[in-house]
Amino acid sequence: MGGQTGFGPVPTGDDGAPFQADWEARVYALSRALRRAGVFNLDELRDAIERIPPKVYLSASYYERWLIAIETILAEKGRA
Amino acid sequence: MSHDELPVAARVRRLEERVIAAGLTTGDELDALLDELLDGASPVNGARMVARAWTDPDYREALLADANTAAGSLGFATNGYRLCAVENTPTLHNVVVCTLCSCYPVTLLGPSPGWYRSFAYRSRVVREPRAVLAEFGLRLPDEVEIVVWDASAETRYLVVPRRPEGELPEEELAARVTRKGLIGTSAV
Amino acid sequence: MTYRPGTLVRARPTDPDHHTRVPRYVRGHVGEIVERQGEWPLPDDSARGIAPPRVEAVYTVRFPARDLWGTGSHTVTVDLWESYLEEVSTDEP
Repeated sequence: MGGQTGFGPVPTGDDGAPFQADWEARVYALSRALRRAGVFNLDELRDAIERIPPKVYLSASYYERWLIAIETILAEKGRA
Repeated sequence: MSHDELPVAARVRRLEERVIAAGLTTGDELDALLDELLDGASPVNGARMVARAWTDPDYREALLADANTAAGSLGFATNGYRLCAVENTPTLHNVVVCTLCSCYPVTLLGPSPGWYRSFAYRSRVVREPRAVLAEFGLRLPDEVEIVVWDASAETRYLVVPRRPEGELPEEELAARVTRKGLIGTSAV
Repeated sequence: MTYRPGTLVRARPTDPDHHTRVPRYVRGHVGEIVERQGEWPLPDDSARGIAPPRVEAVYTVRFPARDLWGTGSHTVTVDLWESYLEEVSTDEP
């Protein structure tokens, strides 16, 4: 991501509430709980986020990417 | 309807139900994890550290030498990462980014803002920090050197902004420090 | 191998098919060691569930913007695990 061009101005005003919707907060909490349960570590989560196909990665929102990554890992590990 | 086509909120609800049914967490645990984030993590914490450093030279020295211990001495837990405080001076300005994801000392800054996680910030600030800072309304003189810190490993960075002019008590100084100031995208 | 502050190092040109923490924009570029931060598990291993992961020194490495982008007077510091780096011999231009 560092150094790529074409993303336009920084949304400097997007500085308020941490979550735009309740589901985003639930995704955050799920990621924490699943790490605590030993289902994955933070690097596995980062890896799964980075493995999202670029077209999907760029069109998904931040917590949508987390959601996709969590679903991917659970499917790969056959957990839940 | 396939999984991917469900509205995202419904998809998250379904995921949560599956994870709870598998015995991996409980609704109460999820609520507690969120409360922990929303109650315990705040830029007020980072601001207190900065205001203390501005008013207590010993604390400033301790903060720059070992920021984890300095955070702990004010009661803030910084577990799982090395904290590094970087100080702005009249000739040097620090600004922090995580280009790989959006790492950041949550306890001291609160949950990360949307702009910090945005593709635009993550892609551009390493390349053209002056232009990015100008978008935040921060125009630095040409002679000020800019150092961009890309938090690509296990260190999280906290910027110590320049102290505002005037003799203010520590609490008032702390109230002036914003999250943007602690990341380096605004002055105080 | 311990790199001392001031040593010139090159971020290895690499493009693994798994998670790594060498940002693309420094791969192949030369920077200067600022500090040895301590030792941490290598995320390339932990991301693949390799247990235990290798543990290596992590360094703060400073790159001049002009070298990375051809323009700019700022510097960018990146935190890099030791195996991401190779020493630059001093007779190299």
